[in-house]
Amino acid sequence: MQPTSELGRPDLVAKTFKCMGTVVSLTVPAATGVRTTAAEAALAEATGVVERLFVELDARFSLYRPGSEASRVARGELSLRAASQEYRDRYAEAVEWRLLTEGAFTPERPDGVPDLSGLVKGCAIKEAGAVLHPLGLGDWCLNAGGDVLVAGSPISGSRASWQAGIVDPQDRSTLIAAFPLGGGTSFGALATSGSAERGDHIWTRGSGPSEFRQVTVAAADIVTADVLATSVVAGGVRMLNRATSGWEVEVLAIRNDGGILATPGFRA
Amino acid sequence: MAGWQSGTHVAGTASAVGSTTGSTGTGSTGPGTSGSAGSSAQSSGTTGSSGTSGSTGAAAKAGGSYAGNVVQTRFGPVQVQITVNGGTISDVTALQLTDDGGRSVQISNYAAPLLREEVLQAQSANVQTISGATVTSDAYLTSLQAALDAAHL
Repeated sequence: MQPTSELGRPDLVAKTFKCMGTVVSLTVPAATGVRTTAAEAALAEATGVVERLFVELDARFSLYRPGSEASRVARGELSLRAASQEYRDRYAEAVEWRLLTEGAFTPERPDGVPDLSGLVKGCAIKEAGAVLHPLGLGDWCLNAGGDVLVAGSPISGSRASWQAGIVDPQDRSTLIAAFPLGGGTSFGALATSGSAERGDHIWTRGSGPSEFRQVTVAAADIVTADVLATSVVAGGVRMLNRATSGWEVEVLAIRNDGGILATPGFRA
Repeated sequence: MAGWQSGTHVAGTASAVGSTTGSTGTGSTGPGTSGSAGSSAQSSGTTGSSGTSGSTGAAAKAGGSYAGNVVQTRFGPVQVQITVNGGTISDVTALQLTDDGGRSVQISNYAAPLLREEVLQAQSANVQTISGATVTSDAYLTSLQAALDAAHL
């Protein structure tokens, strides 16, 4: 792995759009130091495809849209049996994660209403990642509200990794850590979950508050990273140990008192 | 597969083999913070084993090395030993590791207490993307990711 710093500051172009209550950014290297119209056009086209994909998933799975299939299931108007294949596939995937995480991840709110929002954003990022390569993009970084999936390098043709910064939950204008993704590394995805911000989709085991204020998980794929980050916030140290022994992941977990638990990959 | 933390229990098979590292007080860098980190490790070690925390606490105060039980992992049998110094777990060593195509290194992939300065550091000028707990569209406007995006738009 070649440190990005030795190759100078990467020259990048980015495009953003709003979806799923957050902002999605797609960033690619600019062509050899100059922003060409071709590179910008390719990025614009790719961002359009990714946005349509996010919008379609949001239309089906958002609980904030009264007309969505997820809302109809939540209100009991639509049974799982009568739901679309896509909805049932996601539900089955969520149930599988519940088994794998011993209940730390769950496809249901405490009141029993099916809630797949803990899974849908990760799935949207994954599906978006799958369409970018066929569109001719080999180097890209997709960030959806703080969950990141990358391919290739910020410097085309190099083995340099993308450097992801991790927000300090005690001061969100600063970074608490860095983690290399893509390039020559074996990790392409990084997801962070918190118990304070938008924690409405994370339900802790039992009734107590989470042991962790923020949990970051690096994995080869974004769904694993996202689900495990959510699970460790919900399941505490027990789930943290389960995650690090059961999956090829690196984890940075920040306790409520600011203390840090981290796997060796996060050590300087 | 509950992980190796069960090995840190001061159970019947665990034996204090004496403090090999001694208590020379070399770990003088911020005893306050390392102490709290140590207590974190204890709580992680005793999670799910109610009743042993008291004896662990007493043992931790005494200091020394403690061998754990042999635990079956997905890589095979593993046994670890912890060294306790002044109430802090100062070292974890593997007494028994599997050798499955060099993957035994994975067994050390345990989340241990780390001080802030021991974590891979990042300057916002040297990163290309930001990971954090999900920001809302409104919060995005003042986020670090927004600043990065603005620089590349």
